[in-house]
Amino acid sequence: MEAFASLADGLVVAIQPANLLFALIGVLLGTAVGVLPGIGPALTVALLLPITFKLDPAGSIIMFAGIYYGGMYGGSTTAILINTPGESASMATALEGNLMAKAGRGGPALATAAIGSFVAGTIATLGLTLLAPYLVDIAVSFGPEDYFALMVVAFVTVSATFGDSPVRGLTSLFIGLMLGLVGIDLLSGQSRLSFGVPELYDNIEVTTLAVGLFAVGEALYVASRRHIQEEKLEAVRGSLWMTKEDWKRSWKPWLRGTMFGFPIGALPAGGAEIPTFLSYATERRLTKHPEDFGKGAIEGVAGPEAANNASAAGTLVPLLTLGLPTSATAAMMLAGFQQYNINPGPLLFAQNADLVWGLIASLFIANAMLLVLNLPLVGLWVKLLTIPQPWLYAGILVFATMGTIAANPSPVELMMLTVFGVLGFLMRRFDFPIAPVIVGMILGPLAESQLRRALSISLGDPMTLLQSPISATLLTIALIALVLPFFLKGLGRFKAVED
Amino acid sequence: MTQFRKGLWRSALAAAAVAGFVTSAAAQMELKIMAPAAPGGGWDQTARSMQQALTQSGIAKSAQVTNVPGAGGSIGIAQLVNNSKGDGNQLMVMGYVMVGALLTNKSPITLDQTTPIARLTTEYEAIVVPADSPIKNAKDLATAIKADPAKVTWAGGSAGGVDHIAAALFAKAAGADPTKINYIPFSGGGEALAAILGGKVTAGISGYGEFESQVKAGKLRLIGLTSAKKTANVDVPSIKEQGIDLEIANWRAVVAPPGISADQKKALTDTMDKMAKSKEWQEILKAKGWEDAYVSGDAFTKILADEQTRTKDVLTAVGLVKS
Amino acid sequence: MATSPQRRVDVAGLVIAVILLVLAAVVWWDMSKLQILSPYDLGPKVMPIIVSGCLTLLAIGNAIGALRGDLPARDSLDWKPIILILGALACLIVLIRFGGGFMIGTALLFAATSTAFGRRAFVTDFIIGAVIALIVYVLFAKLLTLSLPAGPLERLF
Repeated sequence: MEAFASLADGLVVAIQPANLLFALIGVLLGTAVGVLPGIGPALTVALLLPITFKLDPAGSIIMFAGIYYGGMYGGSTTAILINTPGESASMATALEGNLMAKAGRGGPALATAAIGSFVAGTIATLGLTLLAPYLVDIAVSFGPEDYFALMVVAFVTVSATFGDSPVRGLTSLFIGLMLGLVGIDLLSGQSRLSFGVPELYDNIEVTTLAVGLFAVGEALYVASRRHIQEEKLEAVRGSLWMTKEDWKRSWKPWLRGTMFGFPIGALPAGGAEIPTFLSYATERRLTKHPEDFGKGAIEGVAGPEAANNASAAGTLVPLLTLGLPTSATAAMMLAGFQQYNINPGPLLFAQNADLVWGLIASLFIANAMLLVLNLPLVGLWVKLLTIPQPWLYAGILVFATMGTIAANPSPVELMMLTVFGVLGFLMRRFDFPIAPVIVGMILGPLAESQLRRALSISLGDPMTLLQSPISATLLTIALIALVLPFFLKGLGRFKAVED
Repeated sequence: MTQFRKGLWRSALAAAAVAGFVTSAAAQMELKIMAPAAPGGGWDQTARSMQQALTQSGIAKSAQVTNVPGAGGSIGIAQLVNNSKGDGNQLMVMGYVMVGALLTNKSPITLDQTTPIARLTTEYEAIVVPADSPIKNAKDLATAIKADPAKVTWAGGSAGGVDHIAAALFAKAAGADPTKINYIPFSGGGEALAAILGGKVTAGISGYGEFESQVKAGKLRLIGLTSAKKTANVDVPSIKEQGIDLEIANWRAVVAPPGISADQKKALTDTMDKMAKSKEWQEILKAKGWEDAYVSGDAFTKILADEQTRTKDVLTAVGLVKS
Repeated sequence: MATSPQRRVDVAGLVIAVILLVLAAVVWWDMSKLQILSPYDLGPKVMPIIVSGCLTLLAIGNAIGALRGDLPARDSLDWKPIILILGALACLIVLIRFGGGFMIGTALLFAATSTAFGRRAFVTDFIIGAVIALIVYVLFAKLLTLSLPAGPLERLF
């Protein structure tokens, strides 16, 4: 296989001591910034660009790849331990992961996240090595109607996050959709629900919403209930490491998460959020332990974590083969390439083969490094939970606000964080599920603009949604996913809907 | 490694030194350049190229690029005017697109509120079609759009931007109703490019730089540029030479926040003057295929005012702005 | 709360329904002011109409639930810690808005939150918060050249 021969050459580049060191610096930096909400890999790479331009191209691009993968790890650590997702890609992880941590199973949660990320990252990088040229053709053939159908699938499956009352679940979802309307409508250039406030023209930042709802909301809620019951956190209950049972319950979600993450990440408008939520919903449907969901199910951590790392590798497919940056971090890496006058695109593999294969090889190495670094740290991380409660929550709030102002130093952003915190508090108090708000806000605007583009192209003919084979297939899947539970569970659910 | 660490140390020490006692402003500025667009697009590339030229040549000590994406830059300018008032180290990349976007968005903030510094480049718009499209040249495209403007779908940047205006002007020059064009805005360059490569739309319109590597690789067919005459970097005659009367250039410039002192303005202008002459900047222009159009000071202020008037006329005529 | 034989009307639930109704009205009103409509796609109004309509339906759904007293049971509420934390957040916002820098505000937030969680060592915690803020500031502003809102304290470093 030609690809493997090239990869071997790449490995020779990547294991030069200097480049190994760059990969190490990259993963450390990436983990550090991934921990802070608001500060992500994209921003870090942007900040480092001017410092690195004196370095040799291979070294700095390898470092950027390390930052990218490291950021995905760091984000999940805080999501699990303190319910503060550092990146939008780790929101799904927070759902079950934090519950696990509270139940004293933070160790296995972190371990399954780390190992799952490694497995997914490795498989996806392998996919990048072997399939990039083929995948990219499929990715480009995805039209607006197909994206819309993908969103429909996502909408249908996320109903798994609704909890037990459909009315309250849908209320949460539509509050999210409403928040998604805020800002300038891309297709007509007019602002909606902005009331002339310029800061609102820019859509609401997903991390601000998530950190407000999850972290600030929870701090308020726990504080308000202290007089009733002191929340006792036990850092470790049972094994610190994954048990045999944990392994058994994790390996399939890892693989399924990879299957969601890599192809969707490779789509030019795919992203990391959709596959993570799809993976979460799938695991919830397929699990043999449905009673654990809502109390900390390991499948709900393993799947989304694998999905987000696999999507990171997927993003590199259009970047390297077409020069299409499909995420903010990918765009920064593109800028990194361009600073050395290397233009990713159809000619990159021919013109800069050493560099590309060096990069791909160093992705493998970064992945292995992250595993080696993170597993021993699990014990240390879990200790974080033994910090006295007042300091723990005070620290969470300080992190949440600092991350927000560091990313966007405006009082309006902080006000939004506070408002979302109060919203999160009220939703907890009145038992409205939180996840659908975030899902609605992420998916709503995407679905709307893709549908409008599709209809523009077809001159308003909705049949375009069925004429594209990809879209027709996805819509069929959505229909099955929607109807199947009714058949399986009988009429019980219908009653709940009427309620 | 040693080099990297030294670099880090050096910048940390230097930053500490500057924070302690501010040295002469003009000599070594720590610039912040805002690209009011998502990473990867034209303004972002301009900002990052400036960053590269300024730091490599040592004209500025550092140049930090931030992205404030959305709505043709309306959000970026709002942030510049509202949040950076009087900041003598802040620049914002802007261009012809923003002139139109501010009008179509009915932005309460106008370019008159900023401090114009200099125009840097112009880039011509390119019209491309997928490589297997039956449309071979500008005449074919004009015929198609005259037959039915709705059936010719265009992929380009945000609504009311230069891509949109150019598409409308093309339709007008082809003898079709410009208010009837089927223009589909995409966010960021990448997504539009994917739609064109996938054959989802009839044609794509954007700065040539965004299509160049695909055109060279034979995946896209270049219909023509919106220049007056064929330029040296392409093999195809300009659209005007092909008989369609369309000429439009997307210039890019930098402006500073309102409320900066005359000294601060001079320092920024001097820095830009130096950058424009630097070897590094000239190399970037050549590599990116951008045409040097450097004008600073009062001359640029006048150009900016003229373009605002002209654009308002064009946008009203094609129905993108209701007067 | 829903245990009494004749289910009580849940006032808080009704308030939620009214709030949803108000939100639906705001979305509708905002939609009605949009002027530019695209010739070929659905236009910018369709999504707000859907959202507004569904919010109205959900307001009705929530109201029915509240009238039946179907809401899950709630525990009593201690407002003091909430006011303390929100007050500290408000101080932080005001300090940043008026150029007081983020360090004092962050230290205050740390101390107020830990007080809200039952610690009685405001001064100690204020100092701890200030140290954390200082470390983060040095890390971001100096090493990564990222601009955090600066006030008189930050300019000392």
